[in-house]
Amino acid sequence: MKLVKIIVVFIFGTLLFACTKLDEKLRASLEVASSSVTAAGLLQSAYESMNVPFIDQSRFWAAQVHTTDEGIGPTRGPDWDDNGVWRVLHAHTWNADHGFLRDTYRELLQVQFAATSVLDKSPTPQQAAEARFIRALSIFAVLDGWNQVPYRADLTDLTKLPETLKGTAAADFIISELNAILTNLPDGPSIKANKDAARVLLMKTLLNKGVYANRQSPTFAAADMAQVVTLADQIINSGKYSFTANFFDTFAPDNYSNASKDNELIFALEATNGVRGCCNLNHWYCTLHYNQKPSGWNGFTTLSDFYDKYEATDKRRDDAYPGVTNVSGLRVGLLVGQQFDQNGVALKDRKGNNLSFTRAVKLKETGNDLEITGIRVIKYPPDYAKEFPSENEYVIFRYADVLLMKAEALLRSGNAAGALAIVNTVRTHPSRGVAALTSLSLDQLLDERGREFAWEGWRRNDLIRFGKFLNAWQEKAASGPERLLFAIPNEQLSVNPNLEQNPGYN
Amino acid sequence: MTLKRLFAVMALPVLVLFFSQAAYAQDKTVTGKVTDSKDGSGVPGVSVTAKGSRTGTQTGADGSFRITVASSVNTLVFSAIGFTTQEVSITGSEVNVSLVAATSGLSEVVVVGYGTARKKDLTGSVASVKAKDFNQGVFTAPDQLIQGKVAGVQIISNTGAPGGASTIRIRGISSIRSGNQPLFVVDGVPLSGGSAAPGLGTSIGDAPGDNPLNFINPNDIASIDVQKDASATAIYGSRGANGVIIITTKRGQTGAPKVEFSTSVGVNNLLRRLDVLTGDEYRKALQDYSQTGGNFGTSVDALDAVLRTSYNQNYNMAITGGNDNGRYRISTGYLNQEGIVKESGFKKYSASLTSSFKFLESKRLGVDFNVLTTHTATESAPISNNAGFQGSLIGAALQYNPTASLNWTTAQPINPALGATTINPLALLAAYDDIGNLTTVLASIAPSFKITNDLTYRMLYSVNYKRGERRAEIRNWINYQGVEGRGVAAISNNRSVDQQVTHTLNYIKAISSSFRLDALVGYEYLKYDFKGSGVRGTRFVDYPGIKYTDYLQNVPAADREIFSFADPLAELQSYFARATVNFRDKINFTVTVRRDGSSKFGVNNRYGTFPSAAASWNINDEEFLKNSRFINTLKLRVSWGRTGNQEFPTGASKRVVSIGQGVNQSTVNYPNPDVKWETNTLTNAGLDFAILDSRITGSLDYYTRKTTDALFQRNVTAPGPSDGRYWTNLPGSINNSGFEIALNGAIIRGRDLNWNMGVNLSFQKNELKDFVGTYETGTLNGQGSSGATVQRLASGYPLNVYYLRKFEGLDKATGQSIYTDDGNTLFYFGSPNPKTVVGFTTDLTYKKWSLVVNMNGAYGHYLYNETNMNVVPIGNLGTRNISKSLLGGGVKEALSNPIAPSSRFLEKGDYIKLANATISYRLGDVAKTFKGAVVSLTGQNLFVLTDFTGFDPEVNVDKNVNGVPSLGIEYIPYPRARTIQLSLTFSL
Repeated sequence: MKLVKIIVVFIFGTLLFACTKLDEKLRASLEVASSSVTAAGLLQSAYESMNVPFIDQSRFWAAQVHTTDEGIGPTRGPDWDDNGVWRVLHAHTWNADHGFLRDTYRELLQVQFAATSVLDKSPTPQQAAEARFIRALSIFAVLDGWNQVPYRADLTDLTKLPETLKGTAAADFIISELNAILTNLPDGPSIKANKDAARVLLMKTLLNKGVYANRQSPTFAAADMAQVVTLADQIINSGKYSFTANFFDTFAPDNYSNASKDNELIFALEATNGVRGCCNLNHWYCTLHYNQKPSGWNGFTTLSDFYDKYEATDKRRDDAYPGVTNVSGLRVGLLVGQQFDQNGVALKDRKGNNLSFTRAVKLKETGNDLEITGIRVIKYPPDYAKEFPSENEYVIFRYADVLLMKAEALLRSGNAAGALAIVNTVRTHPSRGVAALTSLSLDQLLDERGREFAWEGWRRNDLIRFGKFLNAWQEKAASGPERLLFAIPNEQLSVNPNLEQNPGYN
Repeated sequence: MTLKRLFAVMALPVLVLFFSQAAYAQDKTVTGKVTDSKDGSGVPGVSVTAKGSRTGTQTGADGSFRITVASSVNTLVFSAIGFTTQEVSITGSEVNVSLVAATSGLSEVVVVGYGTARKKDLTGSVASVKAKDFNQGVFTAPDQLIQGKVAGVQIISNTGAPGGASTIRIRGISSIRSGNQPLFVVDGVPLSGGSAAPGLGTSIGDAPGDNPLNFINPNDIASIDVQKDASATAIYGSRGANGVIIITTKRGQTGAPKVEFSTSVGVNNLLRRLDVLTGDEYRKALQDYSQTGGNFGTSVDALDAVLRTSYNQNYNMAITGGNDNGRYRISTGYLNQEGIVKESGFKKYSASLTSSFKFLESKRLGVDFNVLTTHTATESAPISNNAGFQGSLIGAALQYNPTASLNWTTAQPINPALGATTINPLALLAAYDDIGNLTTVLASIAPSFKITNDLTYRMLYSVNYKRGERRAEIRNWINYQGVEGRGVAAISNNRSVDQQVTHTLNYIKAISSSFRLDALVGYEYLKYDFKGSGVRGTRFVDYPGIKYTDYLQNVPAADREIFSFADPLAELQSYFARATVNFRDKINFTVTVRRDGSSKFGVNNRYGTFPSAAASWNINDEEFLKNSRFINTLKLRVSWGRTGNQEFPTGASKRVVSIGQGVNQSTVNYPNPDVKWETNTLTNAGLDFAILDSRITGSLDYYTRKTTDALFQRNVTAPGPSDGRYWTNLPGSINNSGFEIALNGAIIRGRDLNWNMGVNLSFQKNELKDFVGTYETGTLNGQGSSGATVQRLASGYPLNVYYLRKFEGLDKATGQSIYTDDGNTLFYFGSPNPKTVVGFTTDLTYKKWSLVVNMNGAYGHYLYNETNMNVVPIGNLGTRNISKSLLGGGVKEALSNPIAPSSRFLEKGDYIKLANATISYRLGDVAKTFKGAVVSLTGQNLFVLTDFTGFDPEVNVDKNVNGVPSLGIEYIPYPRARTIQLSLTFSL
């Protein structure tokens, strides 16, 4: 009996004090200190981190398109109210709590974080250069929209507050970064950071440098413009780029995989089934009517004044696209009037009315035709084969932008003739098919950029640089200078005392 | 061969051998029967002991017993949970005893953490509900058994789907982010709280969760004890913050093997519906609105078409037996509950064994051994929490144009004239298939050894194994965006293994005639291991009659996905102690402390200490009350203590890099090495009383509950990792306070007629204080609601306060909604947290007849009717159906009036529900073979009184935002069923 007692007490005693060390065992993930965490792995995720903030229809794209004369998200009775998030973008009445702008700001900064992470893991010079390009692009996007860029050079202690890069200093930082990495970047491909992509970003930054110094009345330094021209010439003279046969080839499902369609691509976000992809398909869903193919969300449209900037023969405005129009009847470009299926049968809306898109559109639709108002825009021909996820690479930089930026730099340096010649090479190419201009003003150049880059996410940037962003246009009154910047999201203001609210939003 | 022997031979050879009756050479044998004074029925499981010796037995299923005692013994002691203990002199060879129920009496024994206590000695606030007081009817999970039974406990069955999860709140909500469900402990085994049922993996949104307690057969439960205050919960330390519910399963009873049967069959149909227009009303509305299209000439009721009258069957059998050396109970159960939505239902197969043995001559070594095994099969209808604008099945049915035929073919699942985005609910039902299987084993072994007469050592080892599989698919011919032309199917598997080792030393000693000490020390280690995997494919070739999930491999390689995961291992290590000192049976002091370490906590805060102290005073034992005729019992309780909540994921304290496709690696987490449990500080003051010859008994409790160090996922200071948020303990607090009343009255006590009534009320208040910033939750889904939320967390308001546009009516001229400040300003509205939760129960017995009625309700809160707002708005007119509530008002609403979240859809949630009512008749013994037979007829959810216009005011569809839970939002839920069933119980 005693023996049993002793045994029991012994067992209890030993078990009681045989404590476990409560280490966290992560299992399916790694700790950052692990040697398995590599620069290559982090770089891959840095590329992917760009997908949502740049591609999704409610992020950076919305910030650049809905706030301008080329895009509107009308409330269609029971649809698209969304607590007014779309209306305030077009009407310039957003505030510091705007959900999509808040998410865009945070996600763009996540791109910066993901890119900087690569630098801590002994990258090769090329990996480091690629990461720094991605970071520079993220900083550019945040600078452009909000002017204040929280920046972490050191990721060892995340509880430390990031410093803030602002205005010209941020632009200078981007320029110095890009110049530093240029030699280490590869020549291609266009779905990776490459020398020409860095050159285009340099051009963008230099062209907008005066804007970032003073958005209300920017000035454009001759030296910056000269540098834009130099960089453009390096790209043009490389001979690598040309126009595609069809304007929309650059945006087609096989825009990267088909060697005859990738001629214009300089930097694009990869979309390969099973490898990488995101939400390109949102760019046709957001505009197509429910009864079109593919069945869309019946949302965003452009405005008739913008539509009227195009000439009737402009293929950028309207074209058939093989693999799309013959499949579903859907045309590409700007869709107005009656829509048909592939057999030429007129489509109806859900109430049985003709599906005929009207020129007129209002921020708040109240009529019986609220399903069919507004001119729709198909920039990316739908991928019928692989709709989920689609394989259209999302275009960030393309050749035409290099040409038109060069033209702008020349024009701003007083060389209107040189600028006109370049603009006409774009206009008269059979893929665009419009007559040459005889003269070129800044306003005409802005219109040309509008036609060329409609719904590609550059309109806000262009309108601000050309001094037109605060003007009144359809469904929008003239706005105050505070609208040249978005409000710093309250979400970040409350956790980062190094940020201050942009003027006019307090 | 009798049935009894058949079972003995088939199921119990080992046990029967083990328990074969030993012969005892003792002097006299007493037989008799123990009955319930209330209705004269036999009371099983009553402990019968010879006073002054260790000899004892238990009554059998019909209440009869047989005991052989030494001739010197002249008193027998009868004790049972729920009854007042009685001592009876042996006057012959037969002793019949009528026990008096002690539902709220202080002699009752209640289950507390790591032990039991006499209610008289209890210092904490513990409510015990015994099997005979459970709600009647068919329940898939045990939480429903005590709905409305305990003051301060609100139980919301989230949906009407069989097997669906419940929202259980003990004394309100105290946590913003870290979970508010109480800790469930089954026979000493704390459950991890999660379900191993995999998620859906298809594209129709997130399915409502299933109930993690489904694996317990309600028929196996002896009692459910709710631990409410810190004196009772602090022994569970960092998991005790939301209260603890201890489930004790039935034990075997001494005697020859007995077989108990219960069976029921029932019929279910719809309780309540949200009204949409009929075909004729729709045609009239089209006319009123001068709509030319939209009338397809016929009249259908699409909701009726997807619903059905369904049946349920429930069979339970238990075999119990044993002797002084050991007791056992084996039970099996089968439940088949068809859903009232077609092609949905829940089946449960359960088998359990509970046993306890005593070894050695001295009987000092004991072993308890329990195994509980359950398999559930759930067939789900396409009803999700967040289906997009095409809605889920109920949404599709509500929206369906009531003038259009419901005919469909796979070639044309929807009449194109109805619009490509309209879903025919019958086609959706046919296109969808979703079967979930979940196997659960909860096994424990607990040896104990009585080291001295005062000191007992016990060890408990348990393993809780859960394996879930889900096979779901949507056929490619349905016109559902993302599915049409492709089809989608997914097979997912989850596996969860929880293990526990507990050591306790218990010392009980009467130190002097005035002092009694009950002390407990223990050590516990828990490990939670969760893994899963799955495959998914799209782009199927459709072969009618063959499930996609049976040929997933045939989809194109690029359209297949596989995944697997292993959650970080969670480990918990704890030391705990409790001491109760009793002074002259009048005054009790209880002190508990638990020290918890968790692998989740940051390195700087790996261990937390959770103390409590409490006292109680049995005032009625004092001289000045001892002889009171009015007051029979009067007891004062006060307690204070701290508990914790640690429901956050492992890995929050580290900078975690997740590994993705190919070489992809990304930092996902912003590390916080300081992250720790959130702390609840609770105080409680209570009064238990019995007056008027104990005909009226009750308890009053006042409590405060303050949560500090609230766990929250706070926004990272950008730039940060992809998660965008990190776990931290917030400044500020969540303050709950409340007052609870539980009253029971014996209105009539007679030989033939008994009538009892009970009511419990709790009044509660909830406020978030000193909170920095605001966070939104309660996300809406559907057209026009992207990114819209209706609730928020804000300092100075209750948790989940509504934050909305203020609706001021419809503009007479335009028919458009008018909002204060044109909708640009949002306002705080009411709270979804009820101010008052009420439960009511009454039982009436007349001879062999009895009637039991249970009701529950909640008052003073608001529900958000998202179904009305999003699924059947006015803009549907002309294509789809609209809510009946939209018509007939003074102002004609414009068809173009946008869907927008506003106070317009906020409705009072007040309700009282007749949860169940049972009429039963005691047949008694039938033809010698069938003993204690009872036939009963039960109605569940018979009616609900409410002004809420949705399906059921008892609703909580999960609409969380980034894990911040929502509360009280209705969005096309699975409708609630009304059930009528007939049941029969008897034993052999």
